[in-house]
Amino acid sequence: MKTFVCIKYVPDTSEAEVKVNPDGVSVDSSRFSFDINEADNYAVEESVLIKEDKGGEITVVSIGPKQSDVMIRMALAKGCDQAVRVEDDRIASHDPLMMAKVLSGAVKGQEFDLILVGCMASDDWHMSTGVAMAEELGINHASMVKKVELLDGKVRAHRELEGGLMEVVELELPAVLTIQTGINEPRYAPIRGIRQAQKKELKVVSLDDIEVDAASVGPDASGVILEQLYIPEVESAAEFIEGEPDEKAEKLASILVKGGLV
Amino acid sequence: MSTESQTFTEKYDLLGCIQCGRCTGGCPVTVRADLNVRRFVNDAYDEEKLDELARLADIWDCTACHTCAVRCPKGLKPLEVLIGLRSLIVESGKVEPTVRDALQSVLLEGNPWEKSRAARLDWMEGLDVPIADPEVPVENLFFVCCTIAYDPRVQSIAKNIIKILNKAGVDYAFLDESESCCGSEVFTLGEEGLFEMLVEDNTEYLNEYQAKRIVALSPHCFTTYKAHYPDLKSEVIHYTQFLDELLAEGKVTWKGDLQKKIVFHDPCYLGKQSGVYDEPRRLLKGIPGVELLEFERRRERSLCCEGGGGKMWVESESKKERLAETRIKDAKELGADIVAVACPFCVLTLEDAMKGLGYEEEMRVAEIMELLGEFVEA
Ligand code: SF4
Ligand code: SF4
Repeated sequence: MKTFVCIKYVPDTSEAEVKVNPDGVSVDSSRFSFDINEADNYAVEESVLIKEDKGGEITVVSIGPKQSDVMIRMALAKGCDQAVRVEDDRIASHDPLMMAKVLSGAVKGQEFDLILVGCMASDDWHMSTGVAMAEELGINHASMVKKVELLDGKVRAHRELEGGLMEVVELELPAVLTIQTGINEPRYAPIRGIRQAQKKELKVVSLDDIEVDAASVGPDASGVILEQLYIPEVESAAEFIEGEPDEKAEKLASILVKGGLV
Repeated sequence: MSTESQTFTEKYDLLGCIQCGRCTGGCPVTVRADLNVRRFVNDAYDEEKLDELARLADIWDCTACHTCAVRCPKGLKPLEVLIGLRSLIVESGKVEPTVRDALQSVLLEGNPWEKSRAARLDWMEGLDVPIADPEVPVENLFFVCCTIAYDPRVQSIAKNIIKILNKAGVDYAFLDESESCCGSEVFTLGEEGLFEMLVEDNTEYLNEYQAKRIVALSPHCFTTYKAHYPDLKSEVIHYTQFLDELLAEGKVTWKGDLQKKIVFHDPCYLGKQSGVYDEPRRLLKGIPGVELLEFERRRERSLCCEGGGGKMWVESESKKERLAETRIKDAKELGADIVAVACPFCVLTLEDAMKGLGYEEEMRVAEIMELLGEFVEA
């Protein structure tokens, strides 16, 4: 079983106050602590559990700065075998489609059975990078996976859906699975393990190294333009619409039209 | 510090044990858990059994109170056998998520509370605090402790001492946000590699400062520095020792009085492990009006509050009365108005027990620094 697991280095915004920088499009991250994205941590654990069960090899792929090496080393300490970190400031990193192109570029041309990705990143909550990667690579995918069963040449994925529904799908390999938190219990990476993992390869590459055209993943190629970030205002206005269902629908529709929302 | 090539038996001197049972006989947690430390000292001799022993949940019941080590006639540290077994689990990575997150937070942010390093000095806001400079010699270098720095319930320990220091005109300084965890709980949780790293890094870091002595605010940091940091250049003392000196020099002036009965709970890390018993008592007796009571189990025999040994991150399975509850009930029986402690962990465990027992109206748990903050002129 050859697996790629994609991980992201994200700030923990639960403790420090989030402040928008004067440029209006970035956040002051000086008081945040950074760590592996929560769902990606579960993806790493799942890849290691699969390797412990079926054997094989795991490659970690990440886009991020040098500071994120500690996170990658932890994944290597837990049982991943090698890692590739893409560092290139030409990437439009606010756009998950561009991120997916870069991650796919790091994987393309290599043999693999599975790509595991966290189902969402806790910095921008797009929930789309993994799915976009499957599209980019032209392979199957299942999102929000809460249980993985490997069959011969296939994978059975249990997807956690809205309303608590569990959908079970079977996909031909290779496939991308986006992993939901709670699928397992991520292990601890002891320091001695991290030290030993220094021997494992961590390749740092640029877009040119992985043959991804910088223009195709840069701000000009991206359909997403970050115009302004702001802290949502706390408001408490609520209007209750009374009446029979068809009256309610009519009133609601007229409110939406008036507000310019439809 | 042990070397990798040592066997478990050599590392913990297991052959020195005469199976006298003094350790188990004094172990406070035996009243509520199945832990039998003498059995572990005996069984760990069989290297082939180590993995099996490490999987027993009992090894996580130890609070590292050190009663067993104090009582052992052969000078063994039975609790360290349990810590050694914990380390086998830590090395496998299969620890409780709470333990995993605390340890990882120490590595990434320098504290076990999953707080950002950048926020370590937030408690200082509005206070006039000199920050240490490696170029400038300083008489008293204060080491705050992660729990005191981040937990609003116990931040007053640091805040109040600053007011007293400024008033008394003492030569002192606090460290900036590069201060890191001393590793007390990392050690007891069995993360040997991380602890070794902390000892190395903190020794180098603290030795950069030209400090005559380091004053630790928590007995956990105090004892850990004294017991596990052989290459520290500065002497390490606890704040109760430091303030006891100020008191003797007449540099503490009292205001108002406290007509209360106070009983002092000896923290394991201050008393049993470091022999500091009298200084906190003298400070409490110094407060005008105070009547100092004593627990029957005091000083070397003090009952553990179960806050150490990494227990802040490991839930006990036992549903029996917690030792902190026993302690609070004893205090109530003595007629104490205030249970005074000199340790942030004791504040948290004892106060929790007091609230759980519903004694909030009639009793108070207070760190000595809280009381001094109220009654020392600053
Ligand atoms: S007190 Fe010391 S010598 Fe006695 S049983 Fe315990 S470890 Fe062995
Ligand atoms: S340190 Fe305390 S709790 Fe742990 S075994 Fe020794 S006496 Fe028991």
